[in-house]
Amino acid sequence: MASGHQTWRHEQGSLHELEDQMEQAAHLLPSQGPITVFVHHNTLHAFEDRPFDEGVKQGAALYGCHPYLPEDFYRGEVVRGRISPDDLAAVLIDDLGDEADRLLGFMGTRYHLRLAMLEHPLRLGTDAELRWLIADTEALHRFRDEAPRDLRRQMIDQTRQWVLRDCLNDRAIAGRRGADGIAALLAEFDAVAIERWSDRTWESFTLHALWRTCHNGVHAVERFGEASPHPRRHRDLMLLATGHDTDLPVHELLIRFCAAFLDQGFAGRSLPGRDAGFFRAFAGLYGDARPLAPWLRSLPAELSRVRRAALTPLESIDESLRLLGVGSTERGPYLIETLLALRGWAGMIQQMETNAEWAVHPAPRGTLREFLAVRLMLERLALEHTAREALAGEIELAHLRAALHRRIPHTPRVNVDQRAYLVFQLAQVRGWGPAELHRLSKAQWSRLVEEIESFGGLERRRTYHRAYELHYRNQALDALAAHGARADAGEAAAAITAPGEGEGRDRATFQVVCCLDEREESFRRHLEEVDPSCETFGVAGFFGVAMYYRGVGDAYFRPLCPVNVKPRHYVQEEPIRSFEDAGRIQAEARRRLGRFSHAVHVGTRTVLGGLLAAMLGSLATVPLLMRVLLPQKTARLRHLLRWMVTPPLTQLHLERTHADPGPGKGQLGYTRAEMADIVVGLLQAIGLTERFAPLVVIVGHGSSSLNNPHEAAYDCGACGGARGGPNARAFAQMANDPRVRRLLVDRGFVIPEEVHFLGAFHNTCNDGVTYFDLDRLPASHRDDFDRARLVVDEARGHNAHERCRRFRSAGLQLTPAAALRHVEGRGEDLSQTRPEYGHSTNALCVVGRRTRTRGLFLDRRAFLSSYDPTRDDAAATTLTTLLRAVVPVCAGINLEYYFSSADPLGYGCGTKLPHNIAALLGVMDGAESDLRTGLNWQMVEIHEPMRLLLVVETSPEIMAAIIEREEGISRVVRNGWLQLATLDPTRPVIHLFQNDRFEPYEPTSQALPVVSSSLAWYRGWSDHLGFASIVPGGSATEDSRGFRR
Amino acid sequence: MNVDLLFTVLGACVVGAPTLLLAVLGLTALLARPLSERAISRWTASCVIVGLAATVAILAAMLKTGARSVPLTLGDWVAIPQEHFHFHLKLVFDRLSVPFAILTFVLTGAVSAFAGRYMHREPGYGRFFLSFSVFLLGMTVASLAGTIETLFMGWELVGLASALLVAFFHERAAPVLNAQRVWSVYRLSDAAFLLAAVALHHATGAGDFAGLMGTGPWPQGHAALSPGQALGVGLLLLVAAAGKSALLPFSGWLPRAMEGPTPSSAVFYGAFSVHLGAFLLLRVSPILELSLWLCAAVVVLGLASAAFASVAGRIQTDIKGALAFASLTQVGIITAEIGLGLRYIPLIHIIGHACLRTLQLLRAPSLLRDYRMLENAVGGHLNAAGAASREWFPDGLRRLYRVGFDRGQLDEAIDRFVVRPFGDIFRWCDRMERNWTDFLSGAASRESDRIAAVAAVEEEV
Repeated sequence: MASGHQTWRHEQGSLHELEDQMEQAAHLLPSQGPITVFVHHNTLHAFEDRPFDEGVKQGAALYGCHPYLPEDFYRGEVVRGRISPDDLAAVLIDDLGDEADRLLGFMGTRYHLRLAMLEHPLRLGTDAELRWLIADTEALHRFRDEAPRDLRRQMIDQTRQWVLRDCLNDRAIAGRRGADGIAALLAEFDAVAIERWSDRTWESFTLHALWRTCHNGVHAVERFGEASPHPRRHRDLMLLATGHDTDLPVHELLIRFCAAFLDQGFAGRSLPGRDAGFFRAFAGLYGDARPLAPWLRSLPAELSRVRRAALTPLESIDESLRLLGVGSTERGPYLIETLLALRGWAGMIQQMETNAEWAVHPAPRGTLREFLAVRLMLERLALEHTAREALAGEIELAHLRAALHRRIPHTPRVNVDQRAYLVFQLAQVRGWGPAELHRLSKAQWSRLVEEIESFGGLERRRTYHRAYELHYRNQALDALAAHGARADAGEAAAAITAPGEGEGRDRATFQVVCCLDEREESFRRHLEEVDPSCETFGVAGFFGVAMYYRGVGDAYFRPLCPVNVKPRHYVQEEPIRSFEDAGRIQAEARRRLGRFSHAVHVGTRTVLGGLLAAMLGSLATVPLLMRVLLPQKTARLRHLLRWMVTPPLTQLHLERTHADPGPGKGQLGYTRAEMADIVVGLLQAIGLTERFAPLVVIVGHGSSSLNNPHEAAYDCGACGGARGGPNARAFAQMANDPRVRRLLVDRGFVIPEEVHFLGAFHNTCNDGVTYFDLDRLPASHRDDFDRARLVVDEARGHNAHERCRRFRSAGLQLTPAAALRHVEGRGEDLSQTRPEYGHSTNALCVVGRRTRTRGLFLDRRAFLSSYDPTRDDAAATTLTTLLRAVVPVCAGINLEYYFSSADPLGYGCGTKLPHNIAALLGVMDGAESDLRTGLNWQMVEIHEPMRLLLVVETSPEIMAAIIEREEGISRVVRNGWLQLATLDPTRPVIHLFQNDRFEPYEPTSQALPVVSSSLAWYRGWSDHLGFASIVPGGSATEDSRGFRR
Repeated sequence: MNVDLLFTVLGACVVGAPTLLLAVLGLTALLARPLSERAISRWTASCVIVGLAATVAILAAMLKTGARSVPLTLGDWVAIPQEHFHFHLKLVFDRLSVPFAILTFVLTGAVSAFAGRYMHREPGYGRFFLSFSVFLLGMTVASLAGTIETLFMGWELVGLASALLVAFFHERAAPVLNAQRVWSVYRLSDAAFLLAAVALHHATGAGDFAGLMGTGPWPQGHAALSPGQALGVGLLLLVAAAGKSALLPFSGWLPRAMEGPTPSSAVFYGAFSVHLGAFLLLRVSPILELSLWLCAAVVVLGLASAAFASVAGRIQTDIKGALAFASLTQVGIITAEIGLGLRYIPLIHIIGHACLRTLQLLRAPSLLRDYRMLENAVGGHLNAAGAASREWFPDGLRRLYRVGFDRGQLDEAIDRFVVRPFGDIFRWCDRMERNWTDFLSGAASRESDRIAAVAAVEEEV
């Protein structure tokens, strides 16, 4: 071709553009990686640079998901008192600003109109539903229940006057618009007998007249705002026009192929030619096929055409778009919508391509493009086929959309019935009678409708949602202020102020450092309640030890640190020297057992192995019945077996001799200087620099459950969705090393000799606590430890008890011991879909000294990060470092829960009952579906979706400076993806970050209940609970002794 | 005490317990007085236990008295003397039905205990157990059936429950579409079954197994049919069995049926529904013995299904799909065993396989954890050894892979060669009718033509 060169240049340009558009589209895909490593993140991370409300609205439009909970839910909360009228009023006033008092004629102020729309349920429905309401219910005979009595009376009286004075006598009215309706209505109601009408007849007449007036009034009022545009994708148009969904066959094939391509080793046979890439593997599989499905018949020919033309994936995409008639201006959005049509799998491809170098089979670079190329090709085939089948005549693909547009049935742009019914309902609660409405001019009607429609469903939900958040925020801030004031006044100081604070008090008997996780809040609270002389701290649960870790029975190293940290160090658990031989034998036994179980696992699915297994299969009833009927006994047996093949005593290989860290021999571990850095870094961050207790327990956490693909989502978020026990163990070992302590002394940081650190692991599912390296416990600390262990054991019973109140299947009458047994059973039960509620209760995050929150019942809803502002420097270096970790981790958890519960089907992954693990990467719904991302409904069931309220103990000035400096923090705070407040370090004074500045917060109430124990507060309640100060009274000892019931 | 009376009472208990359960769950739902979760699981557990205990008691009594076959007739419901037709609910307790009934009660009991917790707080809890009770009743009746009609009744109930549970999550499209596919295949197999029953009745004048298949308890019965009749009837029954057990060419529906909650998938496609076809063949084994060709057909069909399923199973990347094909592999072998003239081996095989597969399906969500534990134990990737051999892929293997990947294009073949011609015929009729009515009314006469293809969705997004 003569102009070949020219075209080529031109195409290069458009291909670059296409590449950019691909990049942008990929950014919008879900960023959840393989489910075995579950990292909580903001579901709408791509929208974080926009204000929250705008972001969720755009996200909703793009993904077709709900930005807030449904209106009915919020209305239920209004009825229940969870949202008070004050909250609604406050939010409305704040929202409207000066507009609030604008008078809109007879409608009253805008504020009152909107409040009426929020306070009284507006029933909206489909046309059919409305027709039924009008025709077959009492809607036109009786006032709504919400209509106030006096208003009803007034409306009826006015109508009576109006009818008797104007309509009956003044024949001139007949000429006026809408009066026909009234005249006809009078005829229907037997106007001759009007003098004898009963009250009920008048009520019915008023409502009928109101309905007709509304109907006439809104008739022919223009539509406000833009009409929703026709969809862009061919498939959507095809669905509207013909009812055929071309995505069904395309997805069925594509899902199967994606799963085969990404499979991490489940299938016995992997995809032929998978190493050659997505497109080539697909072409290889179908190049010489003879598909029976009619729509696929031309696929082999199409594939060989593309191969002959030697198109790159990008060129193929470009070609497909041209064939589909997608112009260059709409390519970006078209690509986005196409990719999002199967967003789970597309997102997983993107993750496997960019973010999973550690996986068994990561996807090669460029896979997403190849996926899109294949997808568009299949879409073309499906569209061509459906067009042939469902539309008469040959239509070229490029003109298909125009042809479909013509076939889409015309829907009226405005729905008169629905509009009229909206006004009709509002009129009843606002007291607009038919007489009044009848007099409105066309322009006035138009204004009325516009005013009402400007506060549509989405806006109402946004307002409700803000009130919902406001209610909790006020409660939380009031409680923090009141609790602080109480502490200052010295009221019940013994309980509230930690031991060791103030003059003349003894040191704490032992100190516990937990993860900042909100599930540890109750654990810490119960520890302090059981033994008021202990002290607790909270910090990100990897304890500053960012490492790749490999346990004694593990196959691989895996990272144990937050996702945004890339560890450099490798640590391995080894059997101790004297058990090395035994360890080797056990390792061999493990290997054999593993190979055998794998052989059984795979073998039962083959012909001969299955035959053999099935003959003996009746034996499977034994484990089947045992696991279902006696889960705990079975678990004990399994643990026994594991105990037999795992070395009883192990140690961490923690010290490095080689210069560079790495996984090789001699490279494992840390140098002493590095250990010293870690120890001092953590202890300074939490403010534990003096007054050490003789025993400091470092508690990592994780969760174990059965039959749960989302198990990793319950583990420690600060360990990147893994268990933090090894980190706690490593930290304790570092801090105990005398050589490390000597290095610390040189830096002026003294840990007294008599202080011993002990690593431990808290299983948040069964509330078990295991301790590491007890053999290294000095004899001098035995008593301390025994005492601490007693306290911990009692506290975990109480903790289990408090958790059980949330489980409907546990009942509210358990004893702590029974509660502990109950939670242990949950973790071992195959049929348990809610082993624990995870982060379901998160709502609040307090960064500050424990003294500010000690003795405050926070209902497991608060992330608690210890930070001592009095020991920080002027630039708040420690706080900045802390927040860099706390904000992304906590906001990530909070927002993932927010979206998964605001729309469990769209943003979350729905109920877990039909989940089916695919390619060892994620879950599908049932036999074949898009890969489901987000959290399942069982996890978020009790969650109250609210943006995190972060309270930092510092001055507003310092916090403002940090926001100024830190881009990551500023983005989420300024755009309102979390709510921020500061708590003054010296006084119980709170500043709230609003409108881009800190404003003093005025407590709405000073009242904070005082109770003698957590139990006294929560007993008998299974819902979320408010705040209370816990002040052990005279019966304190009795309370900690156990429960009377 | 009179032994006959004892048998009658116990037999009534065996069928009565599931019937009572269905009545309780069904009526409370119907009267809008839904039971609590706890009440539902208690009712289910008690009915299963009563049924199980009665069956075991019958077994004990049979062992004690030495009776090898105990027929029970519960009422004479329909009688058409001219046609020699009597419909009685007739149950038979023999060496085939008793183990099968015990298996039914044990596995459904275990799975309902599992589901009681698994389905906790699911809005469809009551609906699930209602379908489950339909299934339990159907399965009990089918396994104890003494006449073709009784067997058909149970068979239908099982099919109904199965389709309802596949479509359990009916708010999504895929479960409903797949349930419709399952249902259609079931209807096809029901049609074959009915035809077979009518043919049997026509040939012998009665539909009773015992009378039909001569004297002697299972498996020593003899059918009073000519080899030709046996082949005809047997082939129809084979089609029925193939549809129900997802043998070729109906295998496509089995992986699609994994849409319901895990426990129902386990009990239907791991244990019962999928074995019901094989059970039917066992039940009518005296017919099989009459025709060598029939036996050959059964063997070939069984082996072909097993071979296909084992190829397809290796290629599945999702756990439930893989288990579905694993089930099918064994069902194919069981069918072949029956064709080879074995009787007790297939029975043992069915029972063992049902137990094993149910456990595996219930544990399916544990896959990731199991793999991690295995990898840790082995100290490396599980499929690492096989990785090298996969680099090289001969053409034949690639084609074989494609067969598995496309699931043999069985669904596509049925769609194209069966459904499509049917659809075309009916569409043609529809066109003719429309032309005719349009002509008569002188205008477009179809109201439905004016309704949009997709209902407007009232969604607040």
